[in-house]
Amino acid sequence: MIQGNTMKSRLALIVLVIASVRAGAQEINADLEKATKDAVKKVAPSVVQIVTQGGTDMVVTTPKGPVFRKALGPTTGVIVSADGYIVSSAFNFINQPTTILVSAQGHAEPFLAKRIATDKSRMLTLIKIEAKGLPVPPAAPKKGIHEGQWAIALGRTLDTRRLGVPSVSVGIISATNRIWGKAIQTDAKVSPINYGGPLVDIQGNVQGILIPASPRGDGETAGFEWYDSGIGFAIPMEDVYAVLPRLKEGKDLQRGLLGVRMKSQDIYSVAPEIGEVMKDSAADKAGLKKGDIITEIDGRPVVRMAQIQHILGPKYDGDKVSLKYKRGDKVEAINNLTLVAALVSQAHPFLGILPMRDDPKLGVEIRHVFPKTPADKAGLAPGDRIVKYGIDKTMAAFLGQKRGAQQLLDWLNTQLPGKEIKLEVARKGGKTETLTVVLDQLPGSVAGDEPKLPDKLPEAASVRKALAPLEVAKNLKPAKAEAAPKAETGIVKRATADGEHKFQVYVHEEYDPNIAHAMVVWLHPPGKNKDDDLEEVAAIWEDYCAAYKIILVMPISQNDAGWLPGESDIVIEAIQDTMKRYTIDPRRVVTHGLSVGGQMALHLGFGARELVRGVAAVGAVPTNIKDNQPAQRLAFFLVAGELDPLAKSIADSRVKLAEKKYSAIYRQMPNRGREYLEDAQLRELVRWIDMLDKQ
Amino acid sequence: MDMHKRIARSAGALLWVLTIGTIALAQQPFTPVAVDVNKRLVKLFGAGGFKGLPSYGTGILVSEKGDILTCNNHILSTSDLRVHLYDGRFYQARVIAREPELDLALVRIDSDVDFLPHYDLAKAAAQPLAEPGDWILAFSNQFKIATRDEPMSVQRGVIAAYAELRGRRGIFEAPFSGEVYFVDAIANNPGAAGGAIVNRRGELLGIIGRELKNTLSDTWINYAVPVQAKVEIQRDEKLTTIDVVTFVKEAIAGSYKQSEKRAKIDRGAYHGIILVPNAVAVTPPYVEEVIPDSPAAKAGLRPDDLIVYVDGELASSIKIFREIMKQYGPGTDVKLDVQRATRLVSVKLRLAEQPKVKAVP
Repeated sequence: MIQGNTMKSRLALIVLVIASVRAGAQEINADLEKATKDAVKKVAPSVVQIVTQGGTDMVVTTPKGPVFRKALGPTTGVIVSADGYIVSSAFNFINQPTTILVSAQGHAEPFLAKRIATDKSRMLTLIKIEAKGLPVPPAAPKKGIHEGQWAIALGRTLDTRRLGVPSVSVGIISATNRIWGKAIQTDAKVSPINYGGPLVDIQGNVQGILIPASPRGDGETAGFEWYDSGIGFAIPMEDVYAVLPRLKEGKDLQRGLLGVRMKSQDIYSVAPEIGEVMKDSAADKAGLKKGDIITEIDGRPVVRMAQIQHILGPKYDGDKVSLKYKRGDKVEAINNLTLVAALVSQAHPFLGILPMRDDPKLGVEIRHVFPKTPADKAGLAPGDRIVKYGIDKTMAAFLGQKRGAQQLLDWLNTQLPGKEIKLEVARKGGKTETLTVVLDQLPGSVAGDEPKLPDKLPEAASVRKALAPLEVAKNLKPAKAEAAPKAETGIVKRATADGEHKFQVYVHEEYDPNIAHAMVVWLHPPGKNKDDDLEEVAAIWEDYCAAYKIILVMPISQNDAGWLPGESDIVIEAIQDTMKRYTIDPRRVVTHGLSVGGQMALHLGFGARELVRGVAAVGAVPTNIKDNQPAQRLAFFLVAGELDPLAKSIADSRVKLAEKKYSAIYRQMPNRGREYLEDAQLRELVRWIDMLDKQ
Repeated sequence: MDMHKRIARSAGALLWVLTIGTIALAQQPFTPVAVDVNKRLVKLFGAGGFKGLPSYGTGILVSEKGDILTCNNHILSTSDLRVHLYDGRFYQARVIAREPELDLALVRIDSDVDFLPHYDLAKAAAQPLAEPGDWILAFSNQFKIATRDEPMSVQRGVIAAYAELRGRRGIFEAPFSGEVYFVDAIANNPGAAGGAIVNRRGELLGIIGRELKNTLSDTWINYAVPVQAKVEIQRDEKLTTIDVVTFVKEAIAGSYKQSEKRAKIDRGAYHGIILVPNAVAVTPPYVEEVIPDSPAAKAGLRPDDLIVYVDGELASSIKIFREIMKQYGPGTDVKLDVQRATRLVSVKLRLAEQPKVKAVP
């Protein structure tokens, strides 16, 4: 009996225990749920919705590869000062919107915002509205952020009508000190739904600002492909507040670089030995040399490049570091080394001549001398032949292994503007003279300088001996004459080697393989990929092709919405295939397109530097301008319709290209929208193409 | 043995059991809920298997007799629709009613079944809406991982937002036009449509929707149609409001009449704004000219104003502006927010009848 009672009471006790335990677990969950929602509500008034209007198509990387995308949806921002400064992800502004509007909780009307500056290292953009007394959220101290803590990602894009509770995704901090020390990582869902929004801890303190990021890429869209994957990033709020005063000054911030290339690409297991010091870089100014091994930065010993990247990753242009390095057996120290942004681009030198084309003889015959250029000032004239070139007394002769104009250009590309060079010239009259010339820079590569193209160039551009064997220097063996492949004319339909992608080539009826032709690669706008559309383009270009010796290559995008950057390979194959079949002047290969096609033309210009020498883009903005390269010239001819809302951005981008020392010109079509060239611009474009081999 | 020691020892053991028990249960806070919810869900197998469309889906039992609420999608377009219950029993089923505007359908098991665990929809719909941040569990047979008596895949997340599914007019088409729950779990996978979103306690919140891409942000959307959802439909040429509970009730009773396809009504009225030429794909709606004495002129609209919002809806291009304006008839008051130089100005327009074109004498 006693036993039975004990059993019963025990059973009752166990039932009671389980019930209360279960209730307990539920209570924990209920408390957590409530805490999460309270944290969200605490920060919500500081989370604003941003909408933009106008702007360009932009490149974003998606799981299927990069695409051009229009930014239409709303985005998110976080108030960082009571008087109206708001921080958001730079991702939200890459399309250079013409209008930015901000809606904040408790304000019935939206505010107009100005873009103040972009932090190009942390990919944040600061905007400003005219308001007072806005709620600034508290930052969670960086030191207190640890793996495993709750992390709540907030956005304001889903509910476009109300400004109640922001959208919520709950996760934890996955790691700190990511993206070379710049970001914290979370498994909360991070995507365009909340880029620019805050990552919040369970007490309602802001841990960071959500951005797309990738340790393997730079730029506004790097890391987008990881959206909603459980790998998301945020810039610590403490760092955001720290950089705020500098951003408020209105100048974009750049990453600070040392300016060295390491001897090895391996950043994880090899000692950080300098392979090359970039000219005029921070390292150069501090006296670092090839072969030096970096041993310490800011008092922290380093043995691998990856450690250096971790220390330098968070630094800006102008930040100072101290450094120790080993040269031979000695360890040297540098204090207060000032880091600099991307290295200053050097302009291409300019002599001021057009060489005669398809000339098999040694040297360079001058076809045209541009007025007021160094060549003009030195007295060079059409018909003269440059036979030697050099600096001081060391003069180089032409060898005939490559065409004279190419040999001279390759040498000029190693010189800088302002340099004094000497040219030995066989005058048209028969005399040989040595002239001293001070090199200028390519026209269009100065921000304020908008070159006017000559109305007319000498018609005789070629000696029509492109297939003849080159004359060689005395002790060299001459090459054999090239046989011209059979050349089809008219509209020629071709396909890539795998047969998958079609393209068309328009070759004018008077095609002569002994004349090197310029190549214009037409990248059609969205939907204009039918035979009729391409025929229309060929008809517009027909007369110019014959008069100026141009071959038109027209690749076809498979995508109705327009070109995908992933289709670059198709275009490149079309260019290479055409180069094999026709005599093409490699110095005058131009990508050309309208709207998304123009965007593609720009993308190819920067991406296929070994092939493309010019980009003629209409109604498209160069958004991701890469550094200029001395050996690979690339020139830009930008056109916008006056009514195109992008016109200003396109005009501004010409200046940005010139700042990077590209030769660029901008033309505006009065009373036009985003549409194709009028006669005036087309005629100018054709002359520009005819001048691309200037040097 | 000393009595006190015995008591102490057993008390210790009990405490130990208690502690372990707490930990064990905290380890599995959702297990009882998951077991319970699973019994109320079914796996559906039907049409599909081509063009990347799955031939399987998920459903929610809404009566003890085998009535199933699911998504009104392609898998129902078959005479060979099969249902697998949680315990492995399987049956033929047929579609009883569909409502495209709710994007829901009612399916019934074709055999005589009884006492099936199910959700009382009326009870679920009587609950208040869930809020952003509320914990949720998503149950579905995504990717056909489960067959017969295998349980559904359960995912944990939170309600991300309660908002209109259609992000912006004319940008992307959604199968459902009302407000939905967005969830932060990646729930909308192949075969998940018709699955259940429940709260921490296992109460039904919504029915998982289709796989859908938001072209505004280039991201996939994870959403569920709330059990409280209502939509305006057209029936017998009249507009009427239907909710999920009524749909299910009438469908079970065999009296549900599906909505008619709504003729697109373009009202439109006279505003007197002439916009700049629509030169590019996304030309912002800049005012070029305001016709004198027109509603726009009376409201004080000026050339070079940039129209930003129409009644709170972003008019990001001329095309979208025109589409928004189509829904307003003469006599309607419309609020426009315009950017004038560096200011944002609000004007109210009373739309008018299109002026009669004067006959040329």
